Amino acid sequence: MSSEGHPALAVPPDRAWINRRGWFFVVAVIIAVLPLVFQDSYWRTNLIVCALNVMLAIGLDFILGYAGQLNLGHSAFYGIGAYASTLLIMKLGVPFWMAFVSAMALSSAAGMALSIFAVRLRGHYLAIASLGFAVIVHQVLLNWISLTQGPLGIYAIKPPPDIALPGVPVISFAGTGNMFYLVAGFALLFYLLLDQLVRSPIGEALTAIREDEVSAASFGINCTAWKVFAFGVGSALAGAAGAFYASFVGTLVPDAFIITESFTILAMVIVGGMGTLIGPVWGAILLTILPELLRGFGDLRLVLYGAALTLVVLFMPGGIVQAVQMLRARLGRLPIATHAGTRQ
Amino acid sequence: MLTVALQQGINGIVVGSLYVLVALGLTLIYGVLVQINFAHADVVTIGAFAAYFFTFVFGGNYLVSIGIALMVGAALGWLVNAAIFAPLRERGSELLPLIATIGVSILLQNAMLLWFGPIPYAFDSPYSNKVMRLWGGTFITWQNLIIILVSTLTIALLYAFMKFTFMGKALRAVAQDRETAGLMGINPNQLIMLTFVIASALAGMGGAMLGPILVLTPFAGTSVIVKAFAIVIIGGFGNVEGTIIAGLAVGLIESFTTQLVNPGLTDLVVFTLLLLMLAFRPTGLIAEKREENV
Amino acid sequence: MTAPHLPAPEVQARPASTATFFCGEGLHKRFGGVQAVRDISLNVPRGSVFAIIGPNGAGKSTLLNLMSGLYQPDAGRMIFDGVELVGLPAHKRVRLGLARTFQKLRLFKQLSVLGNVIAASHIHHEIPAWQYVVHGAAFGRDHARCRAQAIKLLGFVGLERRASMRAASLAYGEQRMLELGRALATSPRLLMLDEPAAGLNAAEVELLLERIRLLRECGMTIIVVEHNMDLVMKISDRVLVMDYGQHLFAGTPAEVQANPSVIAAYLGAMT
Repeated sequence: MSSEGHPALAVPPDRAWINRRGWFFVVAVIIAVLPLVFQDSYWRTNLIVCALNVMLAIGLDFILGYAGQLNLGHSAFYGIGAYASTLLIMKLGVPFWMAFVSAMALSSAAGMALSIFAVRLRGHYLAIASLGFAVIVHQVLLNWISLTQGPLGIYAIKPPPDIALPGVPVISFAGTGNMFYLVAGFALLFYLLLDQLVRSPIGEALTAIREDEVSAASFGINCTAWKVFAFGVGSALAGAAGAFYASFVGTLVPDAFIITESFTILAMVIVGGMGTLIGPVWGAILLTILPELLRGFGDLRLVLYGAALTLVVLFMPGGIVQAVQMLRARLGRLPIATHAGTRQ
Repeated sequence: MLTVALQQGINGIVVGSLYVLVALGLTLIYGVLVQINFAHADVVTIGAFAAYFFTFVFGGNYLVSIGIALMVGAALGWLVNAAIFAPLRERGSELLPLIATIGVSILLQNAMLLWFGPIPYAFDSPYSNKVMRLWGGTFITWQNLIIILVSTLTIALLYAFMKFTFMGKALRAVAQDRETAGLMGINPNQLIMLTFVIASALAGMGGAMLGPILVLTPFAGTSVIVKAFAIVIIGGFGNVEGTIIAGLAVGLIESFTTQLVNPGLTDLVVFTLLLLMLAFRPTGLIAEKREENV
Repeated sequence: MTAPHLPAPEVQARPASTATFFCGEGLHKRFGGVQAVRDISLNVPRGSVFAIIGPNGAGKSTLLNLMSGLYQPDAGRMIFDGVELVGLPAHKRVRLGLARTFQKLRLFKQLSVLGNVIAASHIHHEIPAWQYVVHGAAFGRDHARCRAQAIKLLGFVGLERRASMRAASLAYGEQRMLELGRALATSPRLLMLDEPAAGLNAAEVELLLERIRLLRECGMTIIVVEHNMDLVMKISDRVLVMDYGQHLFAGTPAEVQANPSVIAAYLGAMT
């Protein structure tokens, strides 16, 4: 198998670009069509949750799979984004989109703070620190009643405001259809952004840090700065997801952001394929949709997560992406390197 | 005032010694394998349920059920090591075994949820309500007394085992340098298995004794696990003395926070302490230097 | 074998502001109870090959780690072409022109051979910030340039035919050459090699020797920590001998070979 390693080797640049544009178009069409296929509110809700999970998963993978930072506290950034945007809107009257951007900035700042705090900590220590951070955030949300109303939660959160463009009917986000377009659209946008970053020298630097920090430093890579960067980007995405979550679900309780949520997102990243960008997307889709299909069999959702996670780690650590590549190899076709990080 | 302080002190030691039991297992595993076992907490929960069912469904003696829980824990430890850590050891990844144990933990918790349901089980041991008066107007329930006695005995035995027996020393040898230990005729794999079994037995036992104090649901383990991690870090990964001190300290801090500040804030206090510890002294109270070989 | 395309002219032609290119004074480093490096001073002239030898445990690698910035010294100074190095983190020293290889191989195993070298050329990228997000023309040019340079470097170390293989699947000798290639990708003016000949067979050592010679001809200054006496004697201009972290002797290879205390320290290991 010769086409492996640096993406630039695998496929000539022109063909890669066409492939990429092709995929983008296909995905955009799928997103456009989905709400038309699924007209009922139940499935549309699932699709929106799926899009949120995609956003969360690719953000986490940027930190975990690319920069190699063991972040188990992603739920904290999700929660910060949700509460920050909601409180800004409801208590300070900030317009939605400004609150949205602020929430992203706040989550990002929290992520970077955690990263700076943990900069000397390796592996397991960082994992525990991030867990501890997530617990602290949850406890603060639970106990700072004057701010967050604690376990009672915040109600009647409004969806994003209508968009009125001249000559076009008003776009309202109260309905699930348009909400899906909004969230999925942003998820796609973020994916493209991360894809560009990952296929640039920034991606190389992060990979170098993940593989061997000492070695990376000996090539002039400022490991601390890039780790903080990765955290900042990944948690910003989680903050965006939080803001959308709050405005979609309409109510906000601290227990939506317990550490189990971190593990759920982690499962999506691992099952899909850590260290690739498309992997978390598959993982998010599979682990969001599949349990819904199995709803008839009782609340097996989390049991499935646990089993999937364990089995994947044991037998197919590269997740779905690895499985697909092995399948392609068996069928004798070369893997199409349309996505960065699809190594080996 | 003094009475209250003493009472909280006693309560703190009770809770603390249970934390120590759980945390010791974690630190032992880490010391030998440099791996974190997330599923450890669920062994505690399963131990509690095993004790419950033995006592209330099977009609057995509560004290015996502690022993049963110990054996169940040991069996689980054997299983987790054989199925997960041993196969993954060759891959040499720091990350994968940890994630696998997260998977096992999620699996166990939710399987228990399906089996036992979310409603807390009322686990009243026959000793929960008997009370013994101590000096200064404080009192202790017999249950808590049992906890302290059993925990102290176990911890002391373990400590002696680690320090004075050949097995114990071999364990520490493996923790320091697996290859060399192997070259000296010690079978690291067997010792690692032994560590797991001991650690999980401790956890199971801890669960049986925690059952009457904690809210017994399938998620009882989660409330303990992150705190146990905090203790392990504060005490120093792999450091037995440190863990004991840290566990008792956390127990005391918790009980005083409950009394003096606000019960809802105990977790906050403990974890802030954890983060402070990580910021200034990540290797724990009793620092152990592990230089990376370049 | 062609000489590599080395640093851009402006870097090489910088006039020497001090007589010595690299000098260390009174360096000390302690780890726990062990004084790994005690009061070491050295002067490395520009364009020379400077070897550091000594029995195992003499502190040679520690000294190299102090110079590259992996550790900071407890005491002492280091000046590289007029710039004080102490306190400067490792990654900043690379931009000044310091590069190193490692005794224990630290390749990026999951990347290809070419990918490894490209990753090492991190400091040479010239891309406006926004083009990291939207890959424009400058991005493409930079990408092509780095790739071409990397392929040339692979040619220099004899790995051009292995470019797309995974680094982990190379033979040991080839992996060592890849280490060298990666260090060269940073376009160093001072190259520090930590036991580059470790584990190489005689033919591979000859090739290594040849490459070091070529690099010196192009004006590169090289510091080598080595056990292989044959290599050291053939290639170095000056040798520093360390023992128990201390300065034992410094001089030309011939002087070192003849010195009785050096011979005593090695107990006949030298031939």
